[in-house]
Amino acid sequence: MQKILLVCLLFSFGPVMAEGDVVRGEQIAYTCTGCHGIPKYKNSYPNYHVPKIGGQHAAYLETALKDYRDGARQHGTMQAQAGSLSDQDISDIAAYFSQLGQNKQDK
Amino acid sequence: MNNSRITLTKSILTVVFLLAGISLSSSVLAFDKEAGKEKAQQVCASCHGMDGIGIIPTYPNLAGQYVDYLTKALKDYRSGVRSNAIMAGFSATLSDEDIRNLAYYYATLKDNRLPVLDLK
Repeated sequence: MQKILLVCLLFSFGPVMAEGDVVRGEQIAYTCTGCHGIPKYKNSYPNYHVPKIGGQHAAYLETALKDYRDGARQHGTMQAQAGSLSDQDISDIAAYFSQLGQNKQDK
Repeated sequence: MNNSRITLTKSILTVVFLLAGISLSSSVLAFDKEAGKEKAQQVCASCHGMDGIGIIPTYPNLAGQYVDYLTKALKDYRSGVRSNAIMAGFSATLSDEDIRNLAYYYATLKDNRLPVLDLK
């Protein structure tokens, strides 16, 4: 009985977070890599490193992209990039980046 | 004449290098990792871990993130430029010095660091 309850509990989380498609994510993410795929790439005005997003939690990356898209988080380039993305696009991109570089140490 | 000029040049260069060394070491000393660790324990660790690994998927991993990005994120949360109810509350308690030390602490953790991507 406890096992059944546990399984029900696990599945109940399913619909909350759409599962991202890593392969499709990689295709859409081509533009992202122009900044996030270059080691130590820097943002200008103000000048700071573009954050590392490889190996980051997918759910966090989804929140970040949705916040940019919906204007809750301000950044000219990121708002422009995220503005045209659907929820599915965002899930896919997040899934792609979150599985990159896992179990690898910093270069 | 020539010799004294060389000696003078050498002395000037020595002073320049000494001053450069002093300014370099003081900028390195601007981070206090122990203070950062203590603050992390008090403020951040219950969600982001002492190891910089977010305890649930919506809390980002911080281990190995760039120090200047972490600093900016914390200052943006504190000023309200970046809005997040939880982070607004925690960042409001932090001084510039706390932020510097915390960013340094998480950025320099050795294990499970966010990887540097090289995709181009």
